[in-house]
Amino acid sequence: MTLIEQLDASGLTGRGGAAFSTGTKVRAAIENRAALIVNACDGEIGATKDAWVVENHLADLVQGAKLIAPGRLGGIRYAAHRGSATASRLAAAGLEVLEVPHRYVSSEESALISLASGQLARPMTKRTPFVYGGRDVQGRQVAPTVVLNAETVWRVAQIADRGSAWFRSFGTPTEPGPRLVTIGGSVHSPGVFAAAAGIPLADLLRAAGAAGAEGAGGIPGPVWLGGLGGFFLTEAEAAGAIWSNAGLAAYGGSTGPGVINVLAPDRCPLAQVSSLLSYAAGESAGQCGPCMFGLPAVSAQWAELIARPTSRAVDQFSARVDLLIGRGACRFPDGVAGMVRSALRVFGQHLAEHAAGNCPLEGKVAHAYLA
Amino acid sequence: MPTSPDRQAEIRIDRIACSAHGICASLLPRDIQLDEWGYPVIANAAVDPAEGETAIRLCPARALYWAGT
Repeated sequence: MTLIEQLDASGLTGRGGAAFSTGTKVRAAIENRAALIVNACDGEIGATKDAWVVENHLADLVQGAKLIAPGRLGGIRYAAHRGSATASRLAAAGLEVLEVPHRYVSSEESALISLASGQLARPMTKRTPFVYGGRDVQGRQVAPTVVLNAETVWRVAQIADRGSAWFRSFGTPTEPGPRLVTIGGSVHSPGVFAAAAGIPLADLLRAAGAAGAEGAGGIPGPVWLGGLGGFFLTEAEAAGAIWSNAGLAAYGGSTGPGVINVLAPDRCPLAQVSSLLSYAAGESAGQCGPCMFGLPAVSAQWAELIARPTSRAVDQFSARVDLLIGRGACRFPDGVAGMVRSALRVFGQHLAEHAAGNCPLEGKVAHAYLA
Repeated sequence: MPTSPDRQAEIRIDRIACSAHGICASLLPRDIQLDEWGYPVIANAAVDPAEGETAIRLCPARALYWAGT
């Protein structure tokens, strides 16, 4: 069996969040003699699994990269945040490191390709997939390049070594294989855990030392999955949810980049979302109008909304959020829109309580924008 | 150069190149509106091929293109 046949048989999908078929991607990469960028940036908030792969399975990672870009040793680069322990480990192993600035969108696929082409680490418009080569916005040619997440490349090496049947002995038939998750927030033992689709979310949280009240199914606080492009679950939903795309679809979510965070149970969740939105607003690369103007506007309007929620304010806010969808060169604004829509659903009851001027967790609502 | 679009061709916007001139919304008022900052919102991407060609040609930012080209 060729590598591509093995990958197709395994059903491996990208572990960075987009979950595209790795077999399809690697086939196009080999056919186009594409350069490979192994993305070990852990770009999503709270993610540390790429760092874990580099720390614990570097030899396999390098082997996987060589399989994907055969005979093109000069064409393999490892992307890691500048100054990170991961970048040091990769450099110490004699690998070519693409040092990435500490910005949210810098480790987005086309931003890495832009950086590798000698330009800024900012997303590019994807008229056609960059695995075929393309041009940047200034018309400069971009060589065929493929970006694969570090965990994905490690899985490629595992599948080549152990076979697709081994791989499929984990997970579910439609979402096969082992997966890493990073669990953090209000848990006693945060870190990277071995998981697979189909596991109850509560089991994953217990493995990370989540301990909550019996009444909430042992879940200490609302659960935030998938980072800035993710979604939220109430304690009760988290207690019953199955961690898989199939199980999380009902909540508008997916396993995504494998990041799970238990929110602080004693802090206003709306204020926590507010912090996330103001961070997101500052992370726009400032290239696409709907993102560079839309995200700060959404962030500011959220702060007003949670201080003085009315049904009219909710409608106006939702209309503005809708304008973030499908209007950027990358999916960053789409991801934030999904997260904030989920916040409105999950914390809707809490928002209603703010209407009376009182937060059930933090007392009097501060009218930061309207006082 | 892209070949002439077929019936199903959809218009796309290079969001990085777009600098909110608004010409597309003037030329394709049924299909494209502008948001509060003047950036286009596509209501219908399957625009009339001839009208689409004109819009693509006249966009000052060269930000319009047919999907897949």
